[in-house]
Order: sequence, then structure tokens, then C-alpha cells
Amino acid sequence: MQPIRYVDALIAKYGAMGFPAYDWSRYDDAPFTPLRKPLAQCTISMLTSGGVSRCAMPPFDPEARNDLRLDTVEADAPSDDFQIHDSYYDHSDADHDLNCIFPIDRLREMAGDGEIGAVAPRLWSGFMGRIYKRQAVLQEKAPALARELKRDRVDLFVAIPA
Amino acid sequence: MGLVCRAVEEAGIPTVCVSTGRDITALVRPPRSYFINAPMGNNFGGAGDVATQRRILRAVLALAVEAREPGCIVDDVLQWPVPFAFNPALPTPEAIARQLRK
Repeated sequence: MQPIRYVDALIAKYGAMGFPAYDWSRYDDAPFTPLRKPLAQCTISMLTSGGVSRCAMPPFDPEARNDLRLDTVEADAPSDDFQIHDSYYDHSDADHDLNCIFPIDRLREMAGDGEIGAVAPRLWSGFMGRIYKRQAVLQEKAPALARELKRDRVDLFVAIPA
Repeated sequence: MGLVCRAVEEAGIPTVCVSTGRDITALVRPPRSYFINAPMGNNFGGAGDVATQRRILRAVLALAVEAREPGCIVDDVLQWPVPFAFNPALPTPEAIARQLRK
């Protein structure tokens, strides 16, 4: 099947509920930093925006707007110790197997097999809430995350939106 | 998330965005995107499908090695077995009121 046209669907759905039409960021180009090491030497971190939190942490607000919360996830967190709260998508598969959306077991296996250098000491979950405050993301929250990634000597960052 | 990728990349760390929304990705242009034509929440396939999860993760990481063009989008071969749609749950009236107070 053809990819779903989310932009049109979101304008129609949220417009009908009285929310302002979302003015998507549009770029013709992108920044680019080459990967400087083979994967077998790379420390890799990941981020999910799927409303995923450890069971001992508060749940995300499933209907959040402008929620810039960002949790750290320990590299050895068991994949069955998470909860998902997000009304935006069907997470029934991910409820049973977190790896559908946040493949921490697969990444650890690749580190164990030597395919990658290491899983970073911290993985990340956040930016889930229909964020309209784009400048706060671009100028504050994402650069702050980048500083933490550098503290962890991350060579490659995988972002998984939901 | 595309914006997060752009900012992290600008700070000097290579990124790959694992997208299930191809049109959104094409607008926001993260530095490297790997598109899966699957429902949102199934970026790496289905529950228990370890082989697909591993295959997609390997392809995502390989894109970080191979990409040369900023803003590139690579399409995965996955064919989702059943038709799917975008159908987020409607917010409750209480949730809308809470959001409007913010």
C-alpha cells in the first residue's frame, strides 16, 4: 500500500477538534556530520518518542501537548519493565514487545556479537507530546540532549518517532 | 523528532531517524531517514519478530555508514501484511480542557 499521508490526515483531524492547523517545519536541506568510525567501534544511543517509561517512573500523559519531558533509560534496562502511554498510535504490539518501537534487546545483542562497539550508558525516551514549541526543541532541549550524548561519548544516535 | 535529529547532527553527532511517516519526514528533512511502511509504533516490525527487528536495525545502522547525501530517505522493503490507517484516539473533554488551560 502507499504510505499514509499523515500531514493531510492530521490537519483534518485536529482542525475538526478546534486545534490550530499545525504548520510543519519545512527544510530543503539538512545538516550532516559523517560517521567517523566503523560500526564495530561505535557507541550507539537511541531515543523513542512513543510515551515509553520504566514501570517505576510516572507514566507519560497519553494526550500531552508540548511535553518536553526526557527520561534516561539505563543501557541494561529489562525490555519487559516498561509502560507505554500515548493515545496517538496503536502500541498493542509494543506493549507485548518493546523492541517493535525501541529495540534495546536487538541493540544489546549486536553489541554482544561485536557488530557495534557498545550500547551507550544512557538511552532516552521523550519529546512525545505533539510539540508546538519548536524553538524550545531546536535551541534548548535538543542541544542539551546533544551535550549529554557527548558526555556519554556517543558516536551514533538513532531516533525513533511515534 | 526530525528537529531533534537536526539539532543533534548540528552539534556534531551523526543521526538516523527511523520513520513511519514518509510525508512528514520529507518536509522536516532529518539528516538521514530510514522509512518503514508500517503502522506508527511498528517501526521495527511486529511483536516477537526478532528477525525483522534485527534486519531493520542493521539497515538503519548501515545507513549511517553509507549515506552521503544530507536529508536522504531510504525505503525499507517491508510489506505490512494487512492494510492500516492513522486513527489516533480522540482526546477526552477533560484532556482538551487541561490543554487549553496550559
